Amino acid sequence: MLTQVVANALIAASGYFLVAVGFGLIYSTARFFHFAHGIVFTAAPYVAFLSYTLLGLPFEASFVVGILTATALGGMMELLCYRPLRSQGASALVLLLASLGIYIVLQNVVSVAFGDDLKNLRSVSVREGLGVFGARLTMLQLVTIGVSVLVGAVLGVTLLTTKAGKIIRAVANDPALANAVGANSGRVLLWTFAAGSAMAGLAGLLLSLDVGMNPTMGMRALLMGVVTVIVGGIGSIRGAALAALLIGLTQNFCVWFISSQWQDAIVFLILLAFLVFRPQGFCGQRVRIASV
Amino acid sequence: MEYLLHIVILVSIYAVLSASLDLLAGHSGLMSIAQAAFYGLGAYSSALLAVQFGASFGVGVLAGMAVSVSVSFIVSLPSLRLHDDYFVIATFGFQMILFSIFNNWMDLTRGPLGIPGIPQPVIFGWKVDTHLEFLLMAAFFASFAYLAVYLLTSSPFGRVLHAIREDEVFAQSLGKNTLRFKVTAFAVSAALAAMAGSLYAHYITYIDPTSFTVMESILVISMVIIGGAGSLWGPLVGAVVLVTLPEALRFVGLPSSVAANLRQIIYGALLVVMMMVRPKGLVGKYGFGR
Repeated sequence: MLTQVVANALIAASGYFLVAVGFGLIYSTARFFHFAHGIVFTAAPYVAFLSYTLLGLPFEASFVVGILTATALGGMMELLCYRPLRSQGASALVLLLASLGIYIVLQNVVSVAFGDDLKNLRSVSVREGLGVFGARLTMLQLVTIGVSVLVGAVLGVTLLTTKAGKIIRAVANDPALANAVGANSGRVLLWTFAAGSAMAGLAGLLLSLDVGMNPTMGMRALLMGVVTVIVGGIGSIRGAALAALLIGLTQNFCVWFISSQWQDAIVFLILLAFLVFRPQGFCGQRVRIASV
Repeated sequence: MEYLLHIVILVSIYAVLSASLDLLAGHSGLMSIAQAAFYGLGAYSSALLAVQFGASFGVGVLAGMAVSVSVSFIVSLPSLRLHDDYFVIATFGFQMILFSIFNNWMDLTRGPLGIPGIPQPVIFGWKVDTHLEFLLMAAFFASFAYLAVYLLTSSPFGRVLHAIREDEVFAQSLGKNTLRFKVTAFAVSAALAAMAGSLYAHYITYIDPTSFTVMESILVISMVIIGGAGSLWGPLVGAVVLVTLPEALRFVGLPSSVAANLRQIIYGALLVVMMMVRPKGLVGKYGFGR
């Protein structure tokens, strides 16, 4: 039982982690809460559903189409909405509200287009899961865990060792200064949105293969991702991994000992506790209230 | 006629809500996504008191406001030390926790079943049971809320709030205990939102958690922003626009399932458009958040 709970926690954590690294990448460069990240997460599986079941494309192609759509969607939001707003000198709060608006519009578009019921991307024949240390996991769940570890590692190595990563970190640190030394912060932001959105799309697709999809799935995923980012510390992939584990474990132990309906409330209690006692999270830098 | 009165009553209730948020968002620069939580606290407090203990409407309203203010301290004392978008996220988390309580604490709130049979208000022997009477009462409460916000924000207290909105560190450097001002503004805002909740509960006579979701909070935010944050009439204009516009859709003859989505699409789109084109809002003068 214990190993099964831990295994379930790991599965949940890998999902949160995937959303969190994408969201965190965008947040640490663009410096505002991109709520519409949630709808990018939802859009990928729905587009894949459209192309697989309705257009009859092969499954693998539909999966790729889903990720590409997510990438394009995130990029378009940056180009059509956030960039014009930023050039008007909009604050982080204005960007946050605009992205909340985008989220609401697109979520309802998905509702109208596909209906609110739970949909499955592909009905997988039910097989007995694989036994790992006495816990039962499906192949898909193992793949999800593997993929999230891989994405985290690749992103971490890219940010820390490559030139592109260095430029992204420079823009995140100070866009004006980065521009002054020859970086194109507008383009960097666009790429960041695209990359972060691709990760959200991947996370959405993996989750929908496991438990199906509905139009509001992105909101919960986003909130868990946001909590993961804050608890882990902005801009820290290691922190996000730790936080995802903490949240996954807390939730699943809550389900085991208390009951499942309180699992989300407990996550937000963790968030509030961190905001009060350690707003910089596990591995983040201190939050600056004012700068000169 | 009844239908028109119904809409005006809804406008009044939402006008109280948007005025309460405007005190925070428009005047103090604190965007809260927890307004629906306080709205719900007020509604549940007075509904439970009325249904289980037969408490009168006045007691319910006051109790709801008291509960809401006490809870607001639990939220505001820690989270108002945080800045801008961290505060937004903290209120978001709080909203989710309270919704979870409304929805899952079966013994107290009956969860998704909701609380039926909330009595119509009786004030000093005056039984408010027609739409017209309720409208008079709701309008009275709305005027009270606007007067309260107006008096507060045009007083020295309000000037400090404006200073905090423009530059908090500067206000601190003048020796203002900004935390105390923000906590007070948050408490007043929570009390007004709870008042709107009690009105709503006693008007509809049935409440369930779906009226107090995060989407409701965002609707109120949209009202403040579309009308004009930080102005006296902005929140009222926003409430009028966002309550009547979706009602107008009824007459276009859309199926009701799509109409609910279309309503949200409209206010989401308005939110984005206003941010891009006119961040001051329809009648506001304060360029929101810049």
